Amino acid sequence: MIGLHRRPRLELMLLLLPGAGFLAALFGFPLLTALLGSFGLVGDDPALTLKFYARIFTSTVLLRSLATSLYYGVVPVAVTVVLAIVLALALRRHFAGRKLFNGLYKIPLKLPKMVRDPWGIGVIAATTWKQLPFMTLVITGAFAAIPEDIRHAARTLGAGPIRAFLRIELPLALPGITAAVLLTFIGSMGSFAIPDLVGAPNPLPLSVRMVRAFAEGDMSQVFAIGMVLSAFAFAVLIGYYALTSRVGTAKGDSR
Amino acid sequence: MAELQLHSVGKRFGDTVALRPTSLEVEKGEFVTVLGPSGCGKSTLLRILMGITEASSGEIVLNGRRIEALPPDKRDIAMVFQSYALFPHMSVRKNLAFGLEMRKVPKDEQRRRLDHALQICNLAAYVDRMPRQLSGGQQQRVALARAIVMQPSLMLLDEPLSNLDAKLRDSLRHDLVALHRQTGSTSLYVTHDQAEAMAMSDRIVVMNGGEVVEIGTPVSLYRNPRHVFTASFLGQTNLMPVEAGNRQARLPWGDVVPLESNHRGAAVVSLRPENLALTPDAAGHGEITAVSFMGAQANYVVRIADFNLKASRSGGEALLEIGARVAVSVTGPVSLLAETPALGRAA
Ligand SMILES: Nc1ncnc2c1ncn2[C@@H]1O[C@H](COP(=O)(O)OP(=O)(O)OP(=O)(O)O)[C@@H](O)[C@H]1O
Ligand SMILES: [Mg+2]
Repeated sequence: MIGLHRRPRLELMLLLLPGAGFLAALFGFPLLTALLGSFGLVGDDPALTLKFYARIFTSTVLLRSLATSLYYGVVPVAVTVVLAIVLALALRRHFAGRKLFNGLYKIPLKLPKMVRDPWGIGVIAATTWKQLPFMTLVITGAFAAIPEDIRHAARTLGAGPIRAFLRIELPLALPGITAAVLLTFIGSMGSFAIPDLVGAPNPLPLSVRMVRAFAEGDMSQVFAIGMVLSAFAFAVLIGYYALTSRVGTAKGDSR
Repeated sequence: MAELQLHSVGKRFGDTVALRPTSLEVEKGEFVTVLGPSGCGKSTLLRILMGITEASSGEIVLNGRRIEALPPDKRDIAMVFQSYALFPHMSVRKNLAFGLEMRKVPKDEQRRRLDHALQICNLAAYVDRMPRQLSGGQQQRVALARAIVMQPSLMLLDEPLSNLDAKLRDSLRHDLVALHRQTGSTSLYVTHDQAEAMAMSDRIVVMNGGEVVEIGTPVSLYRNPRHVFTASFLGQTNLMPVEAGNRQARLPWGDVVPLESNHRGAAVVSLRPENLALTPDAAGHGEITAVSFMGAQANYVVRIADFNLKASRSGGEALLEIGARVAVSVTGPVSLLAETPALGRAA
C-alpha cells in the first residue's frame, strides 16, 4: 500500500527534476551565493560581516543611487503602462491606433536631445520605448479577453464609456496588466545598458554602480548591492499589489 | 402612442443586408417576441435598439423620445444577455446595484428596488455570492434581476434561456411570464424557439432572412398564418397546393373546403395535423403509413393522392394501424398562404 503511494511521488519528483533543477541551478544557487557573499561569507577569507550593507546605507552617493534605481525602475513602467493601456484601447478602434503607432516610431529620432539630462528623461523615454511593445501586447490581450457583452451590459446599465472602463474593464484586465508590470519592472529596475548609455553621469543607478564595483573586483559589495536592489524591487511590487487590490472595489464597493 | 416605435430601421454591413428596413410598434406593458431562424437578424435588431450597433437607416422612438442617436447609457433600455454578462468581479448584490449607482438612484430607493428584485427573482439567499459560485439558472436570474431593478422603459432579452437545460428552461419560462406580469415592463424577447414564443408572448414578430414576415398574436399566427414561412415555422403543418375560386379551395384528393379569400387559381394552403380528422373507412382515399404514439396524442402519416399528410388524433382514441385505410376530412380553418413574404411591407 505504502509503496503504491510512494512510487508516483518519486516519479513526480523525477519528472519535476529537469524544470525545478534548472531553476535551482541557474537561479537559486547564484541567489544563495549572492546572499552569502553579501554577508562576506564567500571568497578567500570568509567572515560574517554587515559592512557591505553598512557601506550602502551610510554612503550618500549609494543612497542616491538607490533612489535613482527606484526612479528609473518605477517611472518608465508607470509611463509605459499608461501608454500601453491607451494604445490597447485605441487599437480597438484601429484608426486612432494607427495614428498613435505612427507617432511612436518617431520617438527614437528625438532621443539624442535628451541624452544625459539630469531628470533622466532620456532614460525614461528609452526604457518606455523598449517596454512598450511587450506591455501593449499583453495589455491588449487582457482587454480582448473581456467578453464584449460585459462591456455592453455596463453601458446599458447607465455607465458612460469612462465609468464602464474604470469600474468594469480595468478591474477585469488587471491580472494581465499586473503580469506585464511585474515583468517589465524587474527588467527596468535592474537595467544597466540604458542608464549607462543615456543616463546622467551623476547620480548613477545601483545597477551601474554594481558593474563598476564588479570591475574593481569587489564581489561582496556587488552582492550586497544586488541584494538591496532585489529587496527594494520586491518592496515596490508589494506596494503595487496593495494599491491595485483596491481597484474596482473602490468607492463603496469594499465590504 | 405606442411605447416603442421603429420606423424603417435597417442595417447593412457593406453588401450584406442584416436587417431590411423594419417598422414595428410595441405597446406599453406588452411582451413581444421576435422569432426567427439563426442569422435572420434578431440580434442585429436588438443591438440597434441597445445602441451598440448603429442603424444604417430609420428612426426609433421610445417613450416619446427619439433615441437612435443616443449612446446606450442614455437610452433607458435594459438588456438581458444570452451569455448573462454578469460582472465576474462583483457579488450578486454589487451586480444588481451597479446600474442604480450609475443612474444615481438615492440609497434608500436602491435598497427598496434591490430587495424587491431579490425577492421576486428568488435570489435572496445568494446576494453575497460571486457569479462563478452560481449555477446557470441562478446566473440568468441575476441577469434578469439586474435589468428589473432599472425599471426601464424597455426590456430587451436575447435568447436568455438558450444556455439552460430543457427542464430549467421550462420553469424559468414560467417565471419570466410571471415576472413580466408583476413588473408590467414593456419587453422585446428574442428567440428561435417557437414553443417559447407561443407560450410567452402577447404578440410574435416572425422574421426570416433579415426581414419581418408577419406580426400577430400566437393564436392568430398559428391558426391563420398568411405566409408559408409562418405556417411552417410555427408548429407542424401540411402545405398543400390547391385550386381556389368562389371562396373555396379544392384539395389534391378532390375535397372542397371553404376559404376566406376571393383568390382564384393555384394557391397554397396550410392544414394543421390536428385539423385533419381520420375515420377508418375501407373505401377511404388515405392509407396510414406511419404511427407514433406520444401519450397525449398519436401522430400519423397518411398517404393520400401522392402526398404524405401529417395528422394527429387524441392519445385517448383507439390507435390506427399501419396499412389501415382512412377517410380524411378537414375540420379546422384553412388559410391561404402568400408564397413569398411581401418585402418590407409586412403588417
Ligand atoms: N458585424 C457584422 N458584419 C457583417 N455581417 C454581420 C455582422 N453582424 C451580423 N452580421 C450578419 O447579419 C445577419 C444577421 O445576424 P444576427 O446576429 O442578427 O442573427 P440572429 O438572428 O441573431 O441569429 P442567431 O439566432 O444565430 O443569434 C447574419 O447573416 C450575420 O452574418
Ligand atoms: Mg442572435
